[in-house]
Amino acid sequence: MAEDTNTVKTVHTDDKTVQTKMVGKYKVEVIRDKCISAGSCVAIAPGVFELDEEGIAIILSQDGNDDQTKLLAAQSCPTAAVIVTDIETGQQVWPQ
Amino acid sequence: MPPQQCTAKLEERIMYNEKFMLVTFELVEPSTLEFKAGQYVSIQVDEAGTRRSYSIASRPDIDHGFELAIDVSPAGVGVQFLQSIPLGTEVSVLAPLGTFVIEDDPTEEAIVLVGTGSGIAPLRSIIFDLLQVKQEKRPITLHWGLRYVDSLFWENEFQDLVERFPNFHFHPVISRAVDGWTLCRGRVTDCLSTHELVPNAGYYLCGGKPMIETVVTLLTDKGIAPEHIHHEKFF
Repeated sequence: MAEDTNTVKTVHTDDKTVQTKMVGKYKVEVIRDKCISAGSCVAIAPGVFELDEEGIAIILSQDGNDDQTKLLAAQSCPTAAVIVTDIETGQQVWPQ
Repeated sequence: MPPQQCTAKLEERIMYNEKFMLVTFELVEPSTLEFKAGQYVSIQVDEAGTRRSYSIASRPDIDHGFELAIDVSPAGVGVQFLQSIPLGTEVSVLAPLGTFVIEDDPTEEAIVLVGTGSGIAPLRSIIFDLLQVKQEKRPITLHWGLRYVDSLFWENEFQDLVERFPNFHFHPVISRAVDGWTLCRGRVTDCLSTHELVPNAGYYLCGGKPMIETVVTLLTDKGIAPEHIHHEKFF
């Protein structure tokens, strides 16, 4: 299993210090035409996914859950409608 | 309660008939699982990491394991996995998941459960939890739709509950019933239409998308408020 790579990066500017939560290394996308409203992605990663008014999964936030949870959510989709990409390598992690 | 990753061991596998199978898992790590009746688990079903979701059919107070009722007819990756792994195989489970649980709503003076096929699984957990654990006194009515009489299972369990709990009512509905079937025929919507709707009830539906949509339309047309119609779609 992938480890959580979410980190907090401190950015120093001239007059203030800003803490920015960086997303992990996984980016998720939903193939809208493949989504059948099963909702398993929302159940597993509610910080990342939600269902819109048509019952289709949409991305709420890329950093709402850790990488491992995002991957589990994608792997739970019965139609493989959630794509996971490693933004560091550009490789598609799921579906394999 | 957020879902947690667990390891569970296949304890038992029973083929009820050609269409339905019961699988029982025993928790390994952690040794217990806290869940609510109506929730489901996500099981890793291949080495790549593919997962499939299954509603828990057993009572939440039996927390050292869980039972799943599987419709084997789709023969997809999840079914093939659960049919082929040897007893004792440890699997990766993510649980509990889902919000298809009995609402704590005092305005719902009765509970009507409608399921088709293996959609009976979470309803069984709910029924046994309500009657045997929570000593629920509100009327509880179950409409369970199947295509063939031969596909029935658990009917003796439910019939036993009818005899022990006067507030429980059971209506098996068979769409392709043989001659001599004296109970409800047709689809669950026919059964719901035949029996007078229970006033001020909460409706809990579980099954395929077409059934859910048809029953929701029927109930809405009969004046049931959307907030009293709860459902879990099976895919």
